[in-house]
Amino acid sequence: MLAEQKLQSFKNIIQEASRDEIIWMSGFLAAFSEKNVVAVAPTEIEIATATEKLVVSVLYGTETGNSKKIASKLASVLKSKQHKITIKSLDQYNSENLAKENLVFIIMSTHGDGESPAAAQKFYDYLHTKKHDFTHLKYAVLALGDSSYPLFCKAGEDVNAKLLEYGAKQILPLEKSDLDIYGVSEAWIKDVISNLPTAANALQKPQQKKTAKNGKRFYKGVVNTHINLNDKGSAKETFHIEIGTDEAVYYLPGDALGIVPPNADEEVNEIISLLPVLEAGTFNYKNEIFSLFDLFKYKLNILHLPLRIIEKYAKLIQSELPLVRVDLKNILSLYPLTGNVSLRDIISILEPIAPRLYSISSSPYAHGNNEIHITVGHNKFSVNNTNKYGFCSNHFAGLHNGDEVTFYISENERFHLPDSAKDIIMIGPGTGIAPFRSFIFHRDDEGATGRNWLFFGDQHFHSDFLYQSELLSFFDTGSLTKLNTAFSRDQKEKLYVQHRMKQQSKELFNWIENGAHIYICGCKNTMAKDVEAALIDIIINEAGIDEQSAFEYLSKLEEEGRYAKDVY
Amino acid sequence: MNEPDIQLNDSASNLGIPRHSWRGKEGEESSMEKVKKQSNALRGTLKESLLDEHTGAIREDDRALIKFHGMYMQDDRDRREERAAKKLEHLYSFMIRLRLPGGLLTSQQWLALHEVSEQYASPVIKITTRQTIQLHGVLKHNIKPTIKEFDTVKLDSIAACGDVNRNVTVSAHPRFSPIYEEVFSYADKLSKLLLPKTNAYYEIWLDKEKISAEQEKDELYQDRYFPRKFKIAIAIPPYNDVDVFTNDVGIIAIIENNKLIGFNVSAGGGMGMTHGNAATYPRLASMLGFVNKDELLKVVYAIATTQRDFGDRSDRKLARLKYTVDRLGVDVFKNEVETRSGIQFTNAKNYELNIRHDEYGWHQNYEGLFYYTAFVETGRIRDDENVQYKKAFYAIAKTGNAQFRFTCNQNIIIGDILPEHKNEIENILLQYGIIQVTKNASPVRRNAVACVAFNTCPLALAEAQRYLPSLIDKIEIILNNYNLNNEELSIRMTGCPNGCGRSVAAEIGFVGTAYGKYNMHIGGDAAGKRLNKIYKENIEE
Ligand code: SRM
Ligand SMILES: Cc1cc2nc3c(=O)[nH]c(=O)nc-3n(C[C@H](O)[C@H](O)[C@H](O)COP(=O)(O)OP(=O)(O)OC[C@H]3O[C@@H](n4cnc5c(N)ncnc54)[C@H](O)[C@@H]3O)c2cc1C
Ligand SMILES: Cc1cc2nc3c(=O)[nH]c(=O)nc-3n(C[C@H](O)[C@H](O)[C@H](O)COP(=O)(O)O)c2cc1C
Ligand code: SF4
Repeated sequence: MLAEQKLQSFKNIIQEASRDEIIWMSGFLAAFSEKNVVAVAPTEIEIATATEKLVVSVLYGTETGNSKKIASKLASVLKSKQHKITIKSLDQYNSENLAKENLVFIIMSTHGDGESPAAAQKFYDYLHTKKHDFTHLKYAVLALGDSSYPLFCKAGEDVNAKLLEYGAKQILPLEKSDLDIYGVSEAWIKDVISNLPTAANALQKPQQKKTAKNGKRFYKGVVNTHINLNDKGSAKETFHIEIGTDEAVYYLPGDALGIVPPNADEEVNEIISLLPVLEAGTFNYKNEIFSLFDLFKYKLNILHLPLRIIEKYAKLIQSELPLVRVDLKNILSLYPLTGNVSLRDIISILEPIAPRLYSISSSPYAHGNNEIHITVGHNKFSVNNTNKYGFCSNHFAGLHNGDEVTFYISENERFHLPDSAKDIIMIGPGTGIAPFRSFIFHRDDEGATGRNWLFFGDQHFHSDFLYQSELLSFFDTGSLTKLNTAFSRDQKEKLYVQHRMKQQSKELFNWIENGAHIYICGCKNTMAKDVEAALIDIIINEAGIDEQSAFEYLSKLEEEGRYAKDVY
Repeated sequence: MNEPDIQLNDSASNLGIPRHSWRGKEGEESSMEKVKKQSNALRGTLKESLLDEHTGAIREDDRALIKFHGMYMQDDRDRREERAAKKLEHLYSFMIRLRLPGGLLTSQQWLALHEVSEQYASPVIKITTRQTIQLHGVLKHNIKPTIKEFDTVKLDSIAACGDVNRNVTVSAHPRFSPIYEEVFSYADKLSKLLLPKTNAYYEIWLDKEKISAEQEKDELYQDRYFPRKFKIAIAIPPYNDVDVFTNDVGIIAIIENNKLIGFNVSAGGGMGMTHGNAATYPRLASMLGFVNKDELLKVVYAIATTQRDFGDRSDRKLARLKYTVDRLGVDVFKNEVETRSGIQFTNAKNYELNIRHDEYGWHQNYEGLFYYTAFVETGRIRDDENVQYKKAFYAIAKTGNAQFRFTCNQNIIIGDILPEHKNEIENILLQYGIIQVTKNASPVRRNAVACVAFNTCPLALAEAQRYLPSLIDKIEIILNNYNLNNEELSIRMTGCPNGCGRSVAAEIGFVGTAYGKYNMHIGGDAAGKRLNKIYKENIEE
């Protein structure tokens, strides 16, 4: 079945692998093919060879790598048809050229709460900030998403709509794919090929659609360890949680654990008491049957409702109400439902509980496949001077040994480890340490020859140095080559990881020039930005180039998969 | 600057026998000896250790070297398990001990000490059994700020620990006569005479420039320092609050018709022993004889060099002067000292040492100055609900009208107060409950001494300062029943047999053997001229 030389290299791998590794690999492949991840199972699509050569741009906006894979696949198929292809990540694409293009394919995902991937933000804004004329442009959009989020494929939808609005011609209607991407993407590529604006395709009808399953695989686990890593006197609580599973869980360092946290019983009961009496016994929600209680406990988001729902609610009860985000129970008690509103009406305006992700901090090598660790920061905030906690992190904070956890694995292609001979630079303050704990354990276990350099930071050295004793022993044994820390509040002037990086400017740049891979994980809004700015400075100073070239230098690293961020 | 103004003879021995055969145990030098030699005059890698971001500890060898700078790396032993579970390293911090010959602080120095203790350390100021103070819980990044603060008021911690001469103690009692003045000046001279000559302290902690590229020459310490710690005390009869005979060099001021004529010098005292190591034992210093005032420095210097050259450098447990003296024999030792110093001892003069406890309350000296000796239980200066030492001493220091002197019984004397300021000071002492506490404490309590032990002392086997007060509550009841509660009985407790609280020189001594367990020693005398004997082993309350 495999081509001769493929077969050979496969055999080589097997021969070199230890027994455990083979068991792990087999499980890993099994899991992969089960989930039909784009990565594996390439297939050949036979298409009528086109007569004319087209000039085509394939653009992708990705966060975790799926869109990129599909884009490359499409590009290679088009190339094989001798069309002239340029393939670009949307952040590398000069939007001004769009109007001049004649054929563009866009594959992009949705992240955050219905937002476009960071890399597609510029492009997204370009379309949304001013009017354009795209009358010469032909295009098709494939939107990737996850139907368990409230706003399924929203970013892709918006982009598709804008292009239409500005006069571009769809050669295919918007295609949305849920997590089970493979089937849809392959069908979509077929459609694209057979609908290319070529004589050959002049008369082709679009094929009938193929809809994806959500395709998530849920695991059940039990909390085996639950520790607050912060010491007395800390302003923070960070929980190290170890979850044991009977069935093997397959993931790679860099992947995240996903969970849809359940609502608290008392909240649910309070809400039910405020709802109109139940007509029928059960509810069908996304083709699943639920009791009213379970529906509200496990499926519907009842907290901090987005404004779009407040608006719908106002319509429903036909009255004015202040546009502020509140919990469902508040709105139900302050602005009670009117008689004419049915239970189903109100359920229909509610959205699913959005999944939360936590970078996995264990390594399948070091900890096996029946144990998975996460590092959860208790998310604190105050609403008019009363302290509140984030929904999911508070759920984790309240767990005890023996409690059950249902979760799934969210892969992150772009945040996996490189070849074990490569050096890596890890920048992960706060809970950003999580994936790097996994990286270091993993590389220690496989005896990787590449060097490992970690930058960690938090508020106070004595109370907030997450995983300190583990890191120190890796440092002593050399598995951690360099360890730099910045504790912001132990001295008058604030000190952060980016300051440490600048102090190490020369050596840091040497590592990069040496082929090191750079990873950033943690807080998106402040840390990630400052660290990236520091990197740019370092490149400017050490390479002696101007800012523009420094940005190019960095995005080249990103292209090569040597610079990756996992920020939130 | 530390050179004595006299010509010292530091030359070889007249014993006619090659030195090495005077070694105690044959065998190579202890690893500590290498650390000292390779330390580049006590610099080691201390500067680098301070820069290690990832740990609150310092590097292995530096942990030994930092003692010579007056500091010990410690960790909070109460928190070990809890922190380990949180995947955090031990809660490391540093204890800083001041070099304070004669134990005197001016008001201005007190204010600085107070500030430092509040800002950089665990706020308790601990009066030690050697007449100085210690601060605990100084985090690595606070060491330099702390030392800098002290430096601004001319305080330092040089050689407060390590294999060097330690803090020189002197009878602390109110200066009844001008002689006290004079004797205290000898403590200063001795302390200076025996200071290491290295500039390391100033470079590392005070960021001073390196004076010269090559290592400082140190006649006395060379690159090996002493084989072990070295302690000097001066007693002014009739007081023996310094426990003169428990020191390596025990000096007794000899006063004839109100003039200081010279000193009786004894050598080879020490308290430490190790459970289960018969070769180790506590020992009182042996009397060598009398020397004139102007001969004291030379003689002590000769004792020091003799110990440097003959002390055991292979086994640190047998390295103190007391073992050297026993190994050589007192006469041979004395002879060597006489040769080196070119001074002959004459027979020791008569002296009376019969008071070891502190003279609490108010006293007035020959100049009419006032002194108040306050009781500080186990030497811990802090504030609690019934007495506020820190507030009081801070307020007194603010007036600038008094000085502070520590005693080897872990108490404090507020002194040099002009008659017109007495009321002001007295009111402060009353306001914060100090006079009350001092008055009301029973004699057993007032005379009790306890070492630090848990939670900071790494060698502690049992509690001491945290436990003794509650034990005394119970003992008081018993003494009451036998109407013994007015006896000036001395009870001392140490958390291990090292004897920091000099428990084997007490009338009743408790020596920790394991958590909650103590050996009970009895039979010591009130003046500290006789050691006690073990009476019961491993007793619990
Ligand atoms: C603070 C103090 C006890 C107190 O509560 O006052 C003290 C505290 C310690 N002593 Fe001491 N010794 C203290 C007076 C003594 C005395 C009493 C004296 O000198 O009059 C002795 C007995 C006399 C002697 O030296 O023989 C004493 C004999 C020891 C020994 C045993 C030495 C020996 O050669 O046998 C050790 C252990 C060692 O040196 O290896 C020791 C070691 C220690 C250490 C530094 C533990 C260590 O080595 O890590 C203790 C620090 C505890 C802490 O957390 O503060 N300490 N130590 C005293 C400080 C004196 C000063 O200001 O310099
Ligand atoms: C790829 C990825 C990896 C991640 N890895 C980790 C990790 O390793 N460790 C980790 O701790 N986190 C991680 N996160 C973040 C994590 O997924 C959650 O976002 C985080 O735990 C907060 O979720 P929550 O449900 O506790 O808070 P939420 O309830 O979602 O609240 C989040 C914020 O919304 C606001 N808010 C919520 N409710 C209210 C209200 N009633 N009134 C006003 N404001 C309100 C507050 O600002 C609050 O901070 C990761 C995220 C991603 C995307
Ligand atoms: C943090 C996060 C938030 C997400 N939010 C949404 C969302 O709001 N709507 C949606 O349809 N999909 C959402 N998804 C699912 C992704 O779009 C989906 O995993 C997609 O396959 C990722 O493609 P990419 O690898 O090209 O980024 C989210 C995924 C993550 C990790
Ligand atoms: S006697 Fe022992 S326990 Fe007490 S302070 Fe000295 S070394 Fe520590």
